[in-house]
Amino acid sequence: MLDFLSQTIWLIPCYTLIGAGLALPWSPGFIRRTGPRPAGYINALMTFMAFLHSLIALSDTWNQPPYALSFEWLNAPGLIINLDLEVSTLALGACVLITGLNFLAQVYAIAYLEMDWGWARVYSLMGLFEAGMCLLVLCNSLFFSYVILEILTLGTYLIVGIWYNQSLVVTGARDAFLTKRVGDLILLMGVVALLPLSGTWNFSELAIWAETADLDPTVATLLALTLIAGPIAKCAQFPLHLWLDEAMEGPYPATILRNTLVVSTGAWVLIKVQPIIALSPFGSSVVFAIGAATAVGTSLISVAQIDVKRVLSYLTSAYLGIVFIAVGIGATQAALVLLLTYALAMSLLIMSTGGIVLNNISQDLTQYGGLWSRRPISGLCLIVGGFSLVALPPFGGFWSLVQIADALWETRPGLFAVVLAVNAIVAFSVTRLFGRMFAGEVTDFTRRSSEGLWLLVLPMTILAGVTLHIPLLLAQWDLLPDWAMVNRSLALPLTWSSLAGIGFGSLVYLNPNWEKPVKLSSQAVQDFFAYDFYTPQLYKGTIIFAVDRISKAVYWLDRYIVDGAVNFVGFATVFGGESLKYNTTGRSQFYAFSIILSVAIFILLTTLPYFSNL
Amino acid sequence: MQLEYFLLLAAALFCIGIYGLINSRNAVRVLMSIELLLNAVNLNLMAFSNYLDADAKGQVFSVFVITIAAAEAAVGLAIVLAIYRNRDTIDMEQFNLLKW
Repeated sequence: MLDFLSQTIWLIPCYTLIGAGLALPWSPGFIRRTGPRPAGYINALMTFMAFLHSLIALSDTWNQPPYALSFEWLNAPGLIINLDLEVSTLALGACVLITGLNFLAQVYAIAYLEMDWGWARVYSLMGLFEAGMCLLVLCNSLFFSYVILEILTLGTYLIVGIWYNQSLVVTGARDAFLTKRVGDLILLMGVVALLPLSGTWNFSELAIWAETADLDPTVATLLALTLIAGPIAKCAQFPLHLWLDEAMEGPYPATILRNTLVVSTGAWVLIKVQPIIALSPFGSSVVFAIGAATAVGTSLISVAQIDVKRVLSYLTSAYLGIVFIAVGIGATQAALVLLLTYALAMSLLIMSTGGIVLNNISQDLTQYGGLWSRRPISGLCLIVGGFSLVALPPFGGFWSLVQIADALWETRPGLFAVVLAVNAIVAFSVTRLFGRMFAGEVTDFTRRSSEGLWLLVLPMTILAGVTLHIPLLLAQWDLLPDWAMVNRSLALPLTWSSLAGIGFGSLVYLNPNWEKPVKLSSQAVQDFFAYDFYTPQLYKGTIIFAVDRISKAVYWLDRYIVDGAVNFVGFATVFGGESLKYNTTGRSQFYAFSIILSVAIFILLTTLPYFSNL
Repeated sequence: MQLEYFLLLAAALFCIGIYGLINSRNAVRVLMSIELLLNAVNLNLMAFSNYLDADAKGQVFSVFVITIAAAEAAVGLAIVLAIYRNRDTIDMEQFNLLKW
């Protein structure tokens, strides 16, 4: 039985797809009598089965060498494209994380979507995400990774647009889709360009090829830049970061997945293609430069947001920025560990704030306050999530950040300063979030707040437990450096930066004497961060403006030149007919004249050669 | 006296006939112009038969043409009379029922 499960790994992505199919009778409303809830239960059950399957398979294949599965997809002369799967401990561990978090999010959604009629859609789409992400981590082919990224792009569009009767939801879904498409299209260029160069799309073969590849530096740089573009859009990095903020209009359970796992799919692909990017020093520099700029920029923006979800969405971009830094310097192992600890901590933060947003109606931080005595469990979970996010021993985030810092210190000490700064700002931002929600005076919005349904609280507390145990699990799996081996001179500044962030945050936001909302001396600076560096206006003024004008010009050209030419032919014919009909005068003398004239002309023309002989 | 002069005269008469045929507004005058055309043709026939043809076939032809011309004038006048009875006019400009 156990053997069977580890031999049928390909089933893991299929469970929730089956669940999505089973939810169909409730989605268009064929079954109304039961309400939409059974669709959700079926999907949650399928997700749980996928979770059990991957858990058992993981323990079964623990420390076994990875093995490959291959399904033929396209067989044309000279081109064979296979769907390659690689079953490794890492991939199965990622599957466990994905299915586990998805299961918790679906249980959470049972309470969150109370009285909502979109159950079948929400659950099926969450299932689609799970299936796509499981297939992505198992997939060993760049081509199919690209295909999956595209499917997930569509999934994002659909799940952000769940509540489609709100205009912000519609624009958010549209922007998320289009922004990711920009990245995907450029990534596709790289994917297509890679095959003639390397002869394979298989990640492991690509890594071997990259070791000895002798590429022209320009080609290598262009290739690296195209391969980076997809992850930039997926991970909401500068300059394609706005979609994540707008996607916050979607429902909370989906946000749990999106902010932790879906954005990580981009990082996963980036880690997989890192050997190719490393072929170009410039490409690697771009990766960590973008990561560093995003990490600093978005963590600063997050401090200035008053919307709970937007604070968290910008923190997401910031952490993915740190992942980019790690990938840029080649520390892929540390990047993966950071993705793991980050995913758990961030989903805990989102779950704890989601319950509060659900029954306090508002997402506005300035409307909150004094929730600590009313919602202690959410508060504790928020604290656990925050501590695990930043570098604070002995929580999870500390260990992953220390590993990254270790790799940075040897190669690029300047970036270590960036990580320190980002860590401090993130610590401040999370403390601010906590302070604005849980400390201070009770407001009208929070006066009657109480802990949510047990289905909201249970997944949250389970996740808090897992998050707290992550360092132990990492130690168990030999993923942590030995305590004696940890570079104290790096661990101490990291810890101090977190403490400084938390301390300063507490000083401002846990202190009733500090006036809130905090006003900086310069309103312009405050607005600069609060309005996301004015990037929406920048895009409106440049790209959107240009596209608008170009499409109007092309429309004009199409309408008046191309259409006009054809219409002119038609018009000329009609006009010709209209004017020629006046030849039909009805007067026999005119007809006689025409006949005689034409005969005369005909005779003249035929006899013209003879005149020259005269 | 040469053949060419006869032919040129006949052609001139023919042109005058054509002019009258196209330009007259009076239907009877149109018929008269047709007679002029036929006379021009007769002139030609007579001239050719006189100068070129010893058997004088042209003269026989012109006898036939005169006959036909008489018949045509009779029928033409009858048509004009019929139109006049219906429309109370013989103005050629008025007979344009088939215009656009």
